[in-house]
Amino acid sequence: MLWLYLHFPHLLLDHIRRDRQEQRPLVIVEGTGQRVLQSCPEARNRGVQTGMRLKTAITLVPELGIVRAQPEQDERILEDQARWLYRYAAHITLTPPDGLLAEIGSLQKLYGGLPAVWQTVEQALDEHRLTAWAATGHTPLAARLIARAGKGECTGDRGHILRTLEAMPLMAAEFDAKTCTRLQRLGLNTLGEVFALPAPELARRLSPETLARIQRIQGSRPDPQSPWQPPHSFRQQADFVQEIEHSQGLLFPLQRMLSELEDDLCWRQQDTDSLHLILQHRHEEGTRLRIRTSGPEHRADAFLNLIRLRLEQQPLRAPVVALVLSVKRFVGREAPTGQDLLGESQDLNEAWHTLISRLQARLGDHALKRLSPREDHRPERAWSASEVQSKHKTRLTNPEYLPRRPVWLLQGPQPLTEPPIAWFSGPERISGGWWDGERVHRDYYIAQLRSGQLAWVFRDVREGWFIHGWFG
Amino acid sequence: MSELLNTLMQDARVWQGHRHNKIATPSEPTGYQVLDNQLGGIGWPRGALSECLVDQPGIGEIHLLLPLMQRLTGTGKTVFWLNPPHTPYAPALAREGINLDQVVMIQAEDEGDFLWTLENCLRSPVTGLVLAWPGKLATRDIRRLQLASEAGSNVCVLFRERRHTDQNSPAALRLELTPGDRQDLKVNVVKRRGSWPGQRCSLAMAHRADLAFRDTPQVVQGPWHQSRR
Repeated sequence: MLWLYLHFPHLLLDHIRRDRQEQRPLVIVEGTGQRVLQSCPEARNRGVQTGMRLKTAITLVPELGIVRAQPEQDERILEDQARWLYRYAAHITLTPPDGLLAEIGSLQKLYGGLPAVWQTVEQALDEHRLTAWAATGHTPLAARLIARAGKGECTGDRGHILRTLEAMPLMAAEFDAKTCTRLQRLGLNTLGEVFALPAPELARRLSPETLARIQRIQGSRPDPQSPWQPPHSFRQQADFVQEIEHSQGLLFPLQRMLSELEDDLCWRQQDTDSLHLILQHRHEEGTRLRIRTSGPEHRADAFLNLIRLRLEQQPLRAPVVALVLSVKRFVGREAPTGQDLLGESQDLNEAWHTLISRLQARLGDHALKRLSPREDHRPERAWSASEVQSKHKTRLTNPEYLPRRPVWLLQGPQPLTEPPIAWFSGPERISGGWWDGERVHRDYYIAQLRSGQLAWVFRDVREGWFIHGWFG
Repeated sequence: MSELLNTLMQDARVWQGHRHNKIATPSEPTGYQVLDNQLGGIGWPRGALSECLVDQPGIGEIHLLLPLMQRLTGTGKTVFWLNPPHTPYAPALAREGINLDQVVMIQAEDEGDFLWTLENCLRSPVTGLVLAWPGKLATRDIRRLQLASEAGSNVCVLFRERRHTDQNSPAALRLELTPGDRQDLKVNVVKRRGSWPGQRCSLAMAHRADLAFRDTPQVVQGPWHQSRR
């Protein structure tokens, strides 16, 4: 077995930096806000160092961007990285706060050799704009120690790995402080000297746990790793150093998130029809936006267009400190066929979905209606309007058996104010609705008004005359 | 003559009084033979605006478009009704053989949304026909719509009031619709691209209420008179 360990020296910094358009000096400070934990190259160039007091750093770089580290955030960001790595390697283990372990021995054949695996991972790291120290090792711990020491090499040779380990100082082996001191007092300085000690002596003089750890590093004791399973949903978060006040500023990070969503969907071979967007504010509850497409979709620019339309319609309530994009609903992707049963080509179908989604995003879901007849005798209930969703097919049994009705139905009956000049047909009595309390008892006539309009008029029980429709 | 001038002549964009050029603009027959004849064998122009100038609903203005609507929904094109003044009554449309799955009704709140929606509908290849009831339109807006309709190749009919008849409009076809005496629809061609306007005809529309054609509308002694008595 061969393991690959990725150590991210400044993961949080990378996470924040990739959603920033301008590259300004940025540091991560510890929770209490005292010391600098991570600093970006721009800040380092101007003298800011890790471990420096924040006050000193601000004196050096007055326009410094400052982000406070939060432990729960680290874990989430690490999981984001595991998600893309899962596309390349199946067996992944998270080692919080800043490491990922992947089993790559079984991948060599797939990628065509160890260098190819290495290159693939490096390329992916590059695409995600991440800094990582990578190392291979014949045991998980060996890979981890080498990676954290920054001496990683692409090698599958056990002897070479052991030689690298043996040359490493004792401090790098991550023993607990007590063991470390004891080993140093024994006059041991490198890991190789510890390896050379006989095992029973080690266990007796130090502790069985220390021996177990050394054996795990060497590979003479099994070190099982439980594999990580990717979640069945997509979630991405962008955190901003400076609050974003205009929706225009959200588009840049959104673009990156959506293209990651597109990658993810392509990899899943699935589509989605609804996105959830949460804009987090500093003092208020977050704004939740639900972006719906009228059909399955996976392309980033289609989503971006819809979100842009929505943001244009809905100005930001408050400045945004973080943006969360999540997708929970996935739809199986339909195989693109030349023509479907009804002779509609895929292109037209897609154009239809694009148009309807665009209109819905700007006008709201309720502005678009599809009409259909309903089985009721009362004219105002004999039709219904439903929201336009995917292209469904309503089946009408026999339209020719429907009674003669006007093309226009008024919103509500209007009083008839002048006597019609001609009567054509009628009366047609419509009576019903006793079952749901909206009783209707009317005699309908077709009549022509003086203006030449053909009207559908009725007289109801209370002797009132009303116009209910126009024969347009 | 230069090539530019030739193209202009052939497109019938330059109006020549002395001869009637047969123009080859794409179009859809109206489904009414009489009207088609009056329009020189072409019906509703595709990829251009048409205007129907009507004052009140209920004179057969929708029935003028029903044959086209039937044909388009049958071939899977979508028909949009944008800001209709009343509810298009689904049972009546279904009875006329219109596939209601292809009919979408849109209510746009303000003028900006209206124009934006109309423009988007016109530019889409899925649209077959757009019926739109704009409240008031500036000439600049009509011009913008005309450009949008040229981008697509669908029929767009704007319903406007008759007081706009005298106004200048870039629409390719303008019809003034007035009710006739026998429940028919009188059509007056106010403008058509590439030819003389001024044709008039009358279309029988009595079938829209299943009325048998009668010379003198037989007045049924309706309960109206009884109740007045």
